[in-house]
Amino acid sequence: MSAIECRNLSKYYGDVRGIEDVSFAVQNGEVFGFLGPNGAGKTTAIRTLLGFLSPTSGGATLLGNDAADPVESRRARERTGYLPGDPGLDRDRTAKAFLDHQAALRGASSREDLVDRFGLDESRRIAELSRGNRQKVALVAAFMHDPDLLLLDEPTSGLDPLLQEEFAALVRERVDDGASVLLSSHVLGEVAALCDRVGVLREGHLVAVESVSDLRSRGGKQVRVRVAEGVDRDDFEVRGIMNLRVGETVSFTWTGEYDDLIDLLSGYTVLDLDVVDAPLEEAFMTFYDGDVPGPTGSGGGESSGSDAAGSGAVGSGGEGR
Amino acid sequence: MSDRPAPWLAIARYDATGRARGSLVVTGLLSAFLLLFLAFFPSLSTAGIDLDAYVDAFPPAFREAFGIIAISSIEGFLAVEFYQFAWLLLVGLYLAYLAGGTIAGDVASGRMDLTLSAPVARRDVVIGRFLGLVPLVLLLNVVLPVVAYVGVLAVGETIAVERLVAVHALAVPYHLTCVAVGIAVSTLASRPGIAQRVALGALFALFMFESVVASTDYAEAGDLSPTAHYDPSGVLVLGEYDVTGAAVLLAATTVLVALAVVRFRRADLSG
Repeated sequence: MSAIECRNLSKYYGDVRGIEDVSFAVQNGEVFGFLGPNGAGKTTAIRTLLGFLSPTSGGATLLGNDAADPVESRRARERTGYLPGDPGLDRDRTAKAFLDHQAALRGASSREDLVDRFGLDESRRIAELSRGNRQKVALVAAFMHDPDLLLLDEPTSGLDPLLQEEFAALVRERVDDGASVLLSSHVLGEVAALCDRVGVLREGHLVAVESVSDLRSRGGKQVRVRVAEGVDRDDFEVRGIMNLRVGETVSFTWTGEYDDLIDLLSGYTVLDLDVVDAPLEEAFMTFYDGDVPGPTGSGGGESSGSDAAGSGAVGSGGEGR
Repeated sequence: MSDRPAPWLAIARYDATGRARGSLVVTGLLSAFLLLFLAFFPSLSTAGIDLDAYVDAFPPAFREAFGIIAISSIEGFLAVEFYQFAWLLLVGLYLAYLAGGTIAGDVASGRMDLTLSAPVARRDVVIGRFLGLVPLVLLLNVVLPVVAYVGVLAVGETIAVERLVAVHALAVPYHLTCVAVGIAVSTLASRPGIAQRVALGALFALFMFESVVASTDYAEAGDLSPTAHYDPSGVLVLGEYDVTGAAVLLAATTVLVALAVVRFRRADLSG
């Protein structure tokens, strides 16, 4: 049984599309990442899974329980923790009062550990807390009943880098203990650091699901080379090269075999050569533009490679039309 | 399930605790308001003016609207100056307004997401939010009769204790109905500000409607308004206790909360 199973899930707000025909499964013990720009449907998908929104069509199960059935959904939520990026907290109550209330609703076996670990001062009124500290309150509420499934929607927004590290460590510990996680983010690095697989959401559609390790290996190498001869751009316009820039140094992303790269460079006097793993952002764009239909979708088939260069950037919603 | 309280109880408790200070302030203000009016009474009653003849000259609809039967006695004075206005209208509208902000406010602020991410049924949220306002209703109707009684004695008058108790006991079902109106509207509107104004406006419109139709052939239609079933003047001046009215109000409260549950169960939480 999967921790989450999503079958052709669609949610429209009236005529406005939230998500459309989204299918994926999160295995037990897996960390699955939703990646996409703001407005891509990540939050809609998570809130539909939690039963806050009723699906327009399709369905989903959480820990084997039908998400759209109130009774089954409640059974699933007994073992689920939810952390929104901008949690709604009562500003005029203390953190302690709020957590007491949450504890009454869901249990709190590891509340004290978490409060200590994140250094939360429970006696303060929530209105007096910084954004990061408010996020800590919600974080404690999401984790304190030791849930088997964690739904984390942009969880580290507002946390400083040190706390992001601590948060990531906490997620890994819980996964080691057998928990499953669905995490959404528009930051690739965050997703890549924590997730086993990544689903890319764009304009409400799940356009790709890829394992992070595949993504890394597919990302290819970042090559910077300086040669003695003058370089004709056309000489480098070969299969396997992306993001080509020709100047004093020639830089590109190489997705082919090493031998072919050596063959290509053998015609030149190489003065300087630098080959490193492409940053995952680049890997992601490479993958994104080459293999998935363009954002308009219905155009069918291939969105030609030529407009590929910048259109896949995560975090820049709405472009590419 | 273990030792956790029922979710509706936890929600009601949390809500009521959050309102504790505000509830005390409102109770204090209304007590002060009542005492202020009582302080006027001695000068009014010794002024030698025939106030009852004066109010008899008012148009019937006006007398109906403000429940004016007689204002020269302490009971009539309290009924007109305080209970018909403050208790029926002001507190009623205030409670509807407060309740209107509950569920819509939680949804809009995202608080509802955190509540419902716990194993809590939508029904429990509606019932809990309704019950969260009950302590305020009880506090008002327990403290104010004491204040009224002491105040009346302080200005050298006497008043029948059982009528004072009754005017507050019968106010409880009425006030609960006002809360229920607000809760029901709160599950319909998507924004708390709108829910609050609609709840307040609806109750006020019903009150006006009842007052206007009271002196026409359609007086029975006025029974639609909660205000038709609570008559502080009748209780204080005439000693008429409208128990049927109280039962009608309790039934209406139940129906309104049930409707709110049905509505909220199907609602998408999108603020």
